[in-house]
Amino acid sequence: MSIANSDITDRSYSLQSASQPRRMGKKSTGNPTHWITYALLIGGAIAMLVPFVSMIASSLKTDPEIQQVPPTILPRTIQWHNYPDALGQDKMDLGQTLPNTVVITFFCVLGQVISSSLVGFGFARFRFRGRNALFLIMLSTMMLPAQVTMIPLFVLFRRLGWIDTFLPLIVPSWLAGPFFVFMFRQFFAAIPEELMEAARIDGAGTLRIFWQIMMPLCGPVIAITAIYTFMNTWNDFLNPLIYLNSPENRTLALALASFNGQYGVSHVNQLMAASFVTMIPCLLLFAAAQRYFVENIAMTGGKS
Amino acid sequence: MTIAKVIRWLLAWAAALVLLWSFFVVGLRLWRTHAPGDHRTQLVIMQWGDASEEEIVRNLVAQYEAEHPDIKILRIHAADFDSKLKTMLAAGTPPDLFYMSYEYVPEFAGLHLLANLDPYIAALPDGQQWLNTFYPVLLEAFRYDGHETGKGPLYGIPKDFTTMIFYVNCDLFKQAGIPVPYNGWTWDEFEADCKKISALPPDAGGRDYGAVLNTWTGVLENIIQCYGGDFFNGADFSKMTIDSPDAVAALSMIQRTRFVDNSVYHNSGPAASNNGIQLFYTGKVAAIGPVGRWETPHFRGTGPGDPGITQFHWDIVPMPHEKRTVSDIAVVSWSMSASAKHPREAFDLLHFLTGKEGQQTMARLGLAIPSIKAIATSDAFLSGKPDHSQLFLDAIKDGKISQVPAEREFGQYLTDEIGRCIDLNQISAADAARTLKDRWQTEMASPLNSEEFPLMNWRVVGAIAAVGIVCGAAIIWLLSRRQKLGTLDRKTERAGWLFVSPWVIGFIVLTLGPMVVSLLLSMTKWTAMSPMTAAQFVGAGNYQHLAEFDRDIGPSLRVTGYYALLAVPLGQIAALAVAMLMNTKARGITMFRTIYYIPTLVGGVTMATIWVWLLNPNYGLINRMLAPMAHWFGTTPPDWLQTDAQRWAVPALVMMSLWTVGGGMLTYLAALKNVPVSLYEAARIDGAGDISQFFTVTLPMISPLIFFNLIMAIIGSFQVFAQVYVMTDGGPGNATLFYVLYLYRQAFEFHNMGYASAMAWILFVLVLLLTAFVIRGSRKWVYYEGLKA
Repeated sequence: MSIANSDITDRSYSLQSASQPRRMGKKSTGNPTHWITYALLIGGAIAMLVPFVSMIASSLKTDPEIQQVPPTILPRTIQWHNYPDALGQDKMDLGQTLPNTVVITFFCVLGQVISSSLVGFGFARFRFRGRNALFLIMLSTMMLPAQVTMIPLFVLFRRLGWIDTFLPLIVPSWLAGPFFVFMFRQFFAAIPEELMEAARIDGAGTLRIFWQIMMPLCGPVIAITAIYTFMNTWNDFLNPLIYLNSPENRTLALALASFNGQYGVSHVNQLMAASFVTMIPCLLLFAAAQRYFVENIAMTGGKS
Repeated sequence: MTIAKVIRWLLAWAAALVLLWSFFVVGLRLWRTHAPGDHRTQLVIMQWGDASEEEIVRNLVAQYEAEHPDIKILRIHAADFDSKLKTMLAAGTPPDLFYMSYEYVPEFAGLHLLANLDPYIAALPDGQQWLNTFYPVLLEAFRYDGHETGKGPLYGIPKDFTTMIFYVNCDLFKQAGIPVPYNGWTWDEFEADCKKISALPPDAGGRDYGAVLNTWTGVLENIIQCYGGDFFNGADFSKMTIDSPDAVAALSMIQRTRFVDNSVYHNSGPAASNNGIQLFYTGKVAAIGPVGRWETPHFRGTGPGDPGITQFHWDIVPMPHEKRTVSDIAVVSWSMSASAKHPREAFDLLHFLTGKEGQQTMARLGLAIPSIKAIATSDAFLSGKPDHSQLFLDAIKDGKISQVPAEREFGQYLTDEIGRCIDLNQISAADAARTLKDRWQTEMASPLNSEEFPLMNWRVVGAIAAVGIVCGAAIIWLLSRRQKLGTLDRKTERAGWLFVSPWVIGFIVLTLGPMVVSLLLSMTKWTAMSPMTAAQFVGAGNYQHLAEFDRDIGPSLRVTGYYALLAVPLGQIAALAVAMLMNTKARGITMFRTIYYIPTLVGGVTMATIWVWLLNPNYGLINRMLAPMAHWFGTTPPDWLQTDAQRWAVPALVMMSLWTVGGGMLTYLAALKNVPVSLYEAARIDGAGDISQFFTVTLPMISPLIFFNLIMAIIGSFQVFAQVYVMTDGGPGNATLFYVLYLYRQAFEFHNMGYASAMAWILFVLVLLLTAFVIRGSRKWVYYEGLKA
């Protein structure tokens, strides 16, 4: 039985599908967009893109040309070979580092979404003794600098024999991150109580309510959690540095850092090439996902 | 299907394929390594170096394994060698063999982390003979008897070294009518020559400079010693002599040639040394030094992407001298860990790695000088440019190893205080020397450095902790009995706890436990390189040092606070403004959103590298754009990260953080989209205009998110680390010494792990207070929809 069809829920809330977008946000009339808006958009876009463009341009230059003073904007001759050079086995070793990073990121994203949503749900919708204290404690853990717990944690993982495996990188994600729990909690809190009560009246158990009602409503937060976790794990440097030893276990971020020789970056053009390639999945992910969590899912609230 | 849909479909399939392939590759590897047990002895070695150096070691390892089938070698290449080595030492699992730079020998040997190699050499049939093939001064660098370098047990076998020389552009010398000083020159002659060369008429590429002077610790001492002075009175590190007239004369020379004569190129900007090298490379500088052999490969050229110097004739000349002739020596060894499990096999490998083959290949590479005399004087080293390579070897007789204190703070203080004179031209040499001496004496006077402390009694601590846990559990249980709950409430409670359990488990195991351990550590003096049982108990000593003896903590808090004050409000306003901009129905808005988000995808190192270039005072884009505006006001744009850093470094970093405004924009945009239209309609009916609607509808409805973002931003601003670490390393002076960077420095560069833990706890309390303050204030302005109170 689909709960969304029930009378009570229909009256108070309408969950819109993509085919009938209810207009949300400020611009509710059909005003043509002001030219100032375009000017600001384009101006800002240029500011955002220029460093990025310089990065790509650098990746196609020769080494001396990059450090030339005064600098050129576009490469004199395009050095396509920088890319295979940078990604080959002795530099980025894409054949090993990419699968490693993908596997680690996959498990981290999955674990973070599941655990943070569960915990956020618990904090938002259940009254239990010690809840507020626990929540405050959780918030305060976000302020602890990683360096403090780094060495005791390393010793712990060594005792468990997890050094040079992916486990120290993955397992913490399955134990919920305060940042995302906070987000889920705020979001769950904003969903009015009537929805849950209506579901209960219809006979749904708590877990069922969670999976079938709450989670689908949380599209934006799930997407944000997934994307942020993806970005953080994909670019994470400190943790792989500490826990991964063997060269074949390295991640992309570690391989990127290896361009830093003892005396600074020796091949800036290759570093830029490798950085660009490392960025691409994040870029694609964002471009693909942003539609989903910004536009489609909307909920008109409103207490009766 | 539209094109967008096709692309998305293709991408989804590509992603799925990559995912499957990744699992396959990783799974295969795991299956292979868990195959039948490896009965071979495993040795772990760790190195640094670029790809060509890695290749050499890799080949050596392969060769050794082929000749010794019962040995398996795991070779680790560490980008951040220092911190990785220290982490491994702290956990008691250091590599068996690792690179060791000579300057760390006193510290590491003092902590009993290095194996004494003398017995193993004595066990070799030709041990003494083999030792004699090395330059004696290099071996001395790795002898330490607990007080000074040069005597005592041998803690490493040098693998290569370099003496300091100057690279010269022979053509520029010729142009200025000066003979190239292959037979030596004095510092006075150096000054005069630089003036002549920088007076040459400029060409298309700009003016020429006489020289680039490097001034890191080792070579700075070298220059001072040439003038007859020194940092300390021999190896007596309590007596600083940097304020002697000779030392001051040396420092004044550097300041003069850089800022008064303008004949020595003054490196401005964090990419300082690279700038200098590049200037020489492009023929704008006649001499660069003191520097070692490591630039040779770059000048020779290593391949199509790196063609080498072809436009002029380059060579090397000895270090200038004044009262004395001195050439600093930098040497790296392979050392063995004191806790190696198979020391005999490890030593055999060490013997091989420092043997003739590896050294010959390294010699040809050009990076350094082989440590075995026979190879250094052979063609492998002497052939190829520079023509006067023999000068590298001639300098050995004047070579001396730097004697520096085991306390790492010294190098940092030197950079900070002397830097104000020779890098920033803000004070005189005499003043800088005096300030440095004063600062060093204060540090040495602190009880942490002058007293002896007992070992930390971990058993007592463990007992107290156990009692504490039991008490805590009892209290919680008693408190819980105060509220009697009905069945429904109890069920709710059980469900609530169940949902929250993953985090609770994680908290206890991954956060609370380590936090308690680090609190205990904050009461100790521990270098993190010996096991925890070697920690010394200092009680509140660390906190006392922080309050009374630490000169950097105040500036550090000020810098961090200043940054937070700027970045947090600006960041939030910018994110909200951009989100509102993105909320319009402009054409191509999706594409704009992606563009604004791109900066957040760039990783830390890359972003820092890009922005260092952007903020370059002369050629960076930012200053180029600001120049016309600044001219209108009659000034020039600031030198963000170097000379004007005291005022402008933090704003520069705020700018950089604003570049990643896309992250905040995203969450605000989602929130904006979730504000019901009905509210706006109601407001309009009541007569509210656009601006009024913003303040009465938009802001209250997204206030929970603003609250959340504010807290996260405050927390985040106090934890800025990676960018500063890469871009400025806290300098110049203390201008960008962010708190977490300072903490990291205390922990991993000064090896004061106990003190760093104390700093971490102070930070924790500070941020806790701030957050509580914000939370309390939030009751007034945050509006929730359906939160259960």
